[in-house]
Amino acid sequence: MGVVLRTEGLTKRFEHTTAVEDLDLEVREGEVFGFLGPNGAGKTTTLRLLCALIAPTSGRAEVAGYRLGHDNERIRASVGILTEAPGLYERQSARDNLLFFAALFGLSPAIARAQTERYLRLMGLWDRRTEPVATFSRGMKQKMAIARAAIHEPRIIFLDEPTTGLDPDAARTVREFIAQIRGEGRTVFLCTHNLDDADRLCDRIAFFRRTVIRIDTPAQLRAELYGHETEFRLLPSPRAADLECVRSIRGVREAHLENGSIVVSSGDPLVANPAIVQALVGGGAQIAYVTERRASLEDVYLKVVEGIS
Amino acid sequence: MSTLATVADRRTIVTAVCLREWRESLGNRLLVGMTIFPPLVILAAGIGAVATAAIYPPSEKDVQALYAASPAVVGLDPKDAVQGLIATYFLILFMLIPTVVPLTIAIYSVIGEKAARTLEPLLAAPVRVGELLLAKSLASAIPAVIVTWAAYVIYLVSVGLIGSGAAVRAVTAPRWILAIIVMVPLLTLLSVNLGILISTRVNDVRVAQQIGGLVVVPVVGLGIAQVTGRVVLNNESFIGTATFLILVDVVVFALARVAFQRENILSRWR
Repeated sequence: MGVVLRTEGLTKRFEHTTAVEDLDLEVREGEVFGFLGPNGAGKTTTLRLLCALIAPTSGRAEVAGYRLGHDNERIRASVGILTEAPGLYERQSARDNLLFFAALFGLSPAIARAQTERYLRLMGLWDRRTEPVATFSRGMKQKMAIARAAIHEPRIIFLDEPTTGLDPDAARTVREFIAQIRGEGRTVFLCTHNLDDADRLCDRIAFFRRTVIRIDTPAQLRAELYGHETEFRLLPSPRAADLECVRSIRGVREAHLENGSIVVSSGDPLVANPAIVQALVGGGAQIAYVTERRASLEDVYLKVVEGIS
Repeated sequence: MSTLATVADRRTIVTAVCLREWRESLGNRLLVGMTIFPPLVILAAGIGAVATAAIYPPSEKDVQALYAASPAVVGLDPKDAVQGLIATYFLILFMLIPTVVPLTIAIYSVIGEKAARTLEPLLAAPVRVGELLLAKSLASAIPAVIVTWAAYVIYLVSVGLIGSGAAVRAVTAPRWILAIIVMVPLLTLLSVNLGILISTRVNDVRVAQQIGGLVVVPVVGLGIAQVTGRVVLNNESFIGTATFLILVDVVVFALARVAFQRENILSRWR
């Protein structure tokens, strides 16, 4: 996969604050890239920088093959952005909203009509295309705004909190849309506080606070920060001897008792777990079940982001 | 992976923005009212005043006061003179329409977008600031010019039907026809661009209107001076005024363009 977005030392200072500092980032073509950080971390400013809406104080960036500051109009033509607020023309119909933006993006009237129909159908809004947006629910407006961001088939689509405040049904539609965009080989740059969404959707995640703290795949981050944990539920409750037995097995990093189970952290569960099962059964224990324990992305987030603060 | 988007040409962008602004304005009863009501009032008052003057001749006292106030009409038949003067007075009010009507539309087109948070998606499109401002400027100016011209034509026809020879001569005087054709668009653009310039610095529609309303002061002053004969709008002064307005229009548009920057709007407008 080629790199579709690259920044080098990108910095944005306002009068009294530094919103983004020395940002080095590479985003690959066709990936869903999660951009996670606490409120006020500078995520929205970064999005505005990368969409050529504001100018960096220093540093360089290349977006969709165009240099920031030199080809800003081409960058804006190559990207789509879902801003914090949907920002739709409320008195106008869903169809007119999309047709207007299609015209601004230089789509011919025929293509604009076809794209409008495609995205309104994709978002489940085709039946309400002639109704003023003011009559739409928050979720419908959010879906409209996403359709607007995608109407010109951008190479990179920046989504700022796309599922915030949506009901489960609307949130699922948005997630399916993101998966579809990715399936078409487009890049999604996803700013979100919804760690479940990030975990489900993102190929890689960047933890960000003014600059990138860590970047990796969700699985790798989990494994690196928490190791591989397995829970062994015994019947009856495990004895001290069982715990000692487990601790003595090669490859086991740590083991402790927790609510009637032995929770084991190991370097390679595929090697350690069969040996643990064998040892416990050999020692007379009855195993009810063995479960893989996954640290949640929230745990990882808190460890990385809050750890820094 | 390619995109369907291109950097659209200026004509496409201006047309799209104008059509959208007009659709939006038509859905806003307040804006429609603000556009149509002032010309209607001026038109009705003007026709009514000329008709009243035709029915009720002035007294000797009124005539003397008239001659004192407006030396330009001394020597004319009193009834004619009164009608001519009234007809001219209302022509000045027609020159006020383009300074008042588009101001509200222009201010709404920027501050309204800001309040509705629609500016950021708009600025994220591959549109140059100059194109966007030109489109907003035209979208506000064109209806005001059309409304003013339409009101003038109706006034012209009505005065022709009910007014005296002096009144007809006053409203069909070449310099007034030229003033309506040339000055109205120039005054409209001045008002619109001033409205946009103010809107980039002010967050409240009412404050912007208060400041923008000052644009009527020089027009009123010039009109009063013209009617009372203190200033004669001859060919030279007409060309001079028109040239001055063109220059001011260009300067105000340039200032609005400098003030209306993506970064300022996105990072300072809260």
